[in-house]
Amino acid sequence: MEKQLLRITVNSEYHELYIKPKKLLVEILRDELGLAGTKRGCNTGACHVCTVILNGKTIKSCSVLAMQADGAEVRTVEGLASGAELTPLQKSFLDHGAYQCGFCTSGMLLSATALLAENSKPTVEQIKEGIHGNLCRCTGYNSIIRAVEAVAEGKYEEGSK
Amino acid sequence: MAYKCPTCGKVWPDTPDLARHIFGTGDQAHKEWVNSKGYNFIELLLIQTMEPGNKGYKALADLLEKEAEKVE
Amino acid sequence: MTKFNVINTPIHNVDGIAKVTGRAVYTFDVNLPHMLHGKILRSPYPHAKILNIDTSQAEALTGVKAVVTGKDTLGVKQGIWRRYKELCDEEILARDKVRYIGEPVAAVAAVDEDTAEEALDLIEVEYEPLSAVFEPLEAIKEGAPLLHENAERNINVTRHIEWGDVDEAFKEADYVREDWFRCSSQAHVCMETHCAVADYTPEGKLTVWTSSQSHYYIKVLLSDVLGLKENDIRVISRYTGGGFGSKFELDSAQFCSSVLSMKLCRPVKIVLSREEEFMATKRRTPMFYYLRSGVKKDGTFLAKEARVFTEGGAYTAMGATALYLTGFFQSFPYIWPSYRYDGYRVYTNTAPTSAMRGFGAPQATFCAETQIDLIAEELGVDRIDIRRKNAMYAGYEVPGQATIQSCGLSECLDRVEEWIKDRGKLPPHHGIGIAAYGFMSGGIFNWFNTPYAFSSAVIQLNVDGKVDLFIGSQDMGQGSNTTMSMICAEELGVRVEDIRLHMGDTDKCPVDLGAWGSRETLMQGNAVKMAAADAKKQILEYAAAKMSPNIVYDLEIKDRWVHLIARPERGLSYFDVVKEAIRGKEGQPIVARGHYTPHRKGMISPAYSFGVQAVEAGVDPETGKVTLKNCVTAHDCGQVINPLGVQGQLEGAIAMAAGYGFTEDLPMDEGKILNPNLVDYKILRTTEMPETTVMEVETYEPEGPFGAKEAGEGLTNPTAGALANAVFQATGTSIKELPITPEKVLNALREKNKEEKK
Repeated sequence: MEKQLLRITVNSEYHELYIKPKKLLVEILRDELGLAGTKRGCNTGACHVCTVILNGKTIKSCSVLAMQADGAEVRTVEGLASGAELTPLQKSFLDHGAYQCGFCTSGMLLSATALLAENSKPTVEQIKEGIHGNLCRCTGYNSIIRAVEAVAEGKYEEGSK
Repeated sequence: MAYKCPTCGKVWPDTPDLARHIFGTGDQAHKEWVNSKGYNFIELLLIQTMEPGNKGYKALADLLEKEAEKVE
Repeated sequence: MTKFNVINTPIHNVDGIAKVTGRAVYTFDVNLPHMLHGKILRSPYPHAKILNIDTSQAEALTGVKAVVTGKDTLGVKQGIWRRYKELCDEEILARDKVRYIGEPVAAVAAVDEDTAEEALDLIEVEYEPLSAVFEPLEAIKEGAPLLHENAERNINVTRHIEWGDVDEAFKEADYVREDWFRCSSQAHVCMETHCAVADYTPEGKLTVWTSSQSHYYIKVLLSDVLGLKENDIRVISRYTGGGFGSKFELDSAQFCSSVLSMKLCRPVKIVLSREEEFMATKRRTPMFYYLRSGVKKDGTFLAKEARVFTEGGAYTAMGATALYLTGFFQSFPYIWPSYRYDGYRVYTNTAPTSAMRGFGAPQATFCAETQIDLIAEELGVDRIDIRRKNAMYAGYEVPGQATIQSCGLSECLDRVEEWIKDRGKLPPHHGIGIAAYGFMSGGIFNWFNTPYAFSSAVIQLNVDGKVDLFIGSQDMGQGSNTTMSMICAEELGVRVEDIRLHMGDTDKCPVDLGAWGSRETLMQGNAVKMAAADAKKQILEYAAAKMSPNIVYDLEIKDRWVHLIARPERGLSYFDVVKEAIRGKEGQPIVARGHYTPHRKGMISPAYSFGVQAVEAGVDPETGKVTLKNCVTAHDCGQVINPLGVQGQLEGAIAMAAGYGFTEDLPMDEGKILNPNLVDYKILRTTEMPETTVMEVETYEPEGPFGAKEAGEGLTNPTAGALANAVFQATGTSIKELPITPEKVLNALREKNKEEKK
């Protein structure tokens, strides 16, 4: 099958690459761009481990063809922190122990990041709904919910810590 | 007084313990020894669980009381 | 309390930053130059002879580099019970016969995954289907199809535990109750599926990156099947994306990638798909449980008789251990003056069943705790009182089995009782169920036949005071890297950030048997503490020479300050002392070692954790749907080392155990799992999680490092039982089959209504 040109901006870096049109976004991110922070848990869109942010919305990168992201802006876990400066959510995840094995953590952080971008003061119920699709087998979720809640309550605002 | 396993020679304080060892190990060698004494290893095991009263273990322990070598 | 500087303080997980920034490299992420991708062909039959395998078409496909079948292997029957050859019964690549749907029969290495997948379709396997058997109670019948030649009536292993005079004691009982229970299976569902990258080089050395709970076990098991020396094999990976008991036996990804790599002298990567993970990796053991208990009128326990038939699946795996442990923990956490257990593990044509978090104890606890509530109800005795009256206590000896050295069970019962009282009146159709449990802190048994100490640690102190800590234990998310760093920092008197932790590499790290059976905190923890104490002693020798204190004074290090215990203000910087101590050792870094193997600690474990859990659930009488509201746990894990870690383990265990209780199941049709995906297999999601409260009941365990013992695995034990009891409280009906689905609840309610109308 003929390769096609993909133009994609990932974590503010612009890329042009020729890819097989059936390649999934997750495959391009991981195998072509070396962004291995995005994991895969099922390949059927059921676990949301591969969640990334595409033009401001979370998507499952195993359920989207890379070509569907042509011209789009993608944010992955590698694009959260700036240098050594972690985002409030990342800091809050550390403080609340909101991860264990860490395999679902990237997707979880991106879902929560998108949630807070849309609604900076979500209720606990809204947080639960916001990350409802993301499966985690280790934590039982409550530490993650507390971590997101703490950010929503402004505990990680600039200069507050 | 202790009892020696007629198959592998491990020593046990009493015949119920020795019976537990033989059933628990359950390998070909131990099975064959029990079968060679006119019992059916598997039947004894199944009696143990199908009928109340610890019958399978008691039967094997009784056999061992007679057959197993006693050591000081 | 200023007793500790590091222990029991909130500390970030030492791998935390790597995990929240996506930097942690899992086996799933490993890509090597010149690497190939492998796929595994699996049996579609539950039981069949393999007559012929034709791989020629697959080999001819462009991009395919090798196809292997059982004939390309040494044909070694392997198993984790290495001391008992008859229990080593699994070849992984079957040569003559397949015994479950999903059993590997061939493997392909190709330039990419798609090509490998395509090649699988081109392999022609000629099978002769055999009649199959799926249920243990069918499989033991005379004339049932036999899975293994030497296992008459398909009986794989049996276990018998007995103390006291059971038959006499039953005669004295005022009330005797008999119940049958059925405990379902459960999938581990690690978010990182089983995977491996094997790299065999012409020097005759094999390196295997793999997602594992015990790199040492994998190394030795690979050596058994590949004919290589143990130490020509290196197993590595720092991060493991979940384990829960599924990743310490040799798996098909590890074995097939190794066989392919040895044939090609190229790296081969195999990642199991989620479907393969469900169909063809091991799972929690389903059990048929018969319980007969005899008690006095006032609720005093007299005698218990338990019989179990477990669905073993096609191979032994860790099933023999699960069979013993379920029998042992069936008596927990109570004093039964007489007890008899007969356990039978039966081969069936289903995926092998094995270890999973709790290791037979969640099944035992579900049955036992459900029955205790039924007994209490029948006798009109308070359900907390009956548990308190018969509770284990520190110093109690389980006859012939174990000695309980620390036990906070009674206090746990008090705390949960208080919580229930404070909760007050419940909304309609709500109930609070309770369940008590105990669990081990690492196993004493050595069926693996290791000649090494169960846990070892090595420490090197460098000239800048940085501590290199080498451990063999594996962190699969449970947090042992952090726990070990904290224990080391506390004992040595430094901070966690002073420690550079080395683990996850069998070439560099000493042996530890791995992260299973709740071993690490106690066993690896003791080894680390011993190594740190040795390093500290070496430093203090120099410090004493330098400070020349009065001989009656003792020295200690706390938070990088080497000082006189009685005069803490008199001291030296830890960093200065280390620098000079190394100079005094002719420039050699300070090296210290520690190890731990349990001795004279009974049959099971050196220490036991305890706890009581209360689950508040609502039951919809129209639909039978159960909703979890609260889950409150009073928990005795000895001295808490890492409070954030313990809380995480507790909440994670609740999610997994509640899933076992009411949403997760592996229904099968003729040996085929019907829901091998994450849509139809339902693990808990955010919205189903109850609120969780943990109340730590601190005890001191003399055998544990700083008094610590198990925390995390045992917490999987009580939830299903507590949930069943909550449903009983809410509806007056007791469900004796897991999982507690809306359908079962509705049926039970209908039955109850019919009874009441009569």
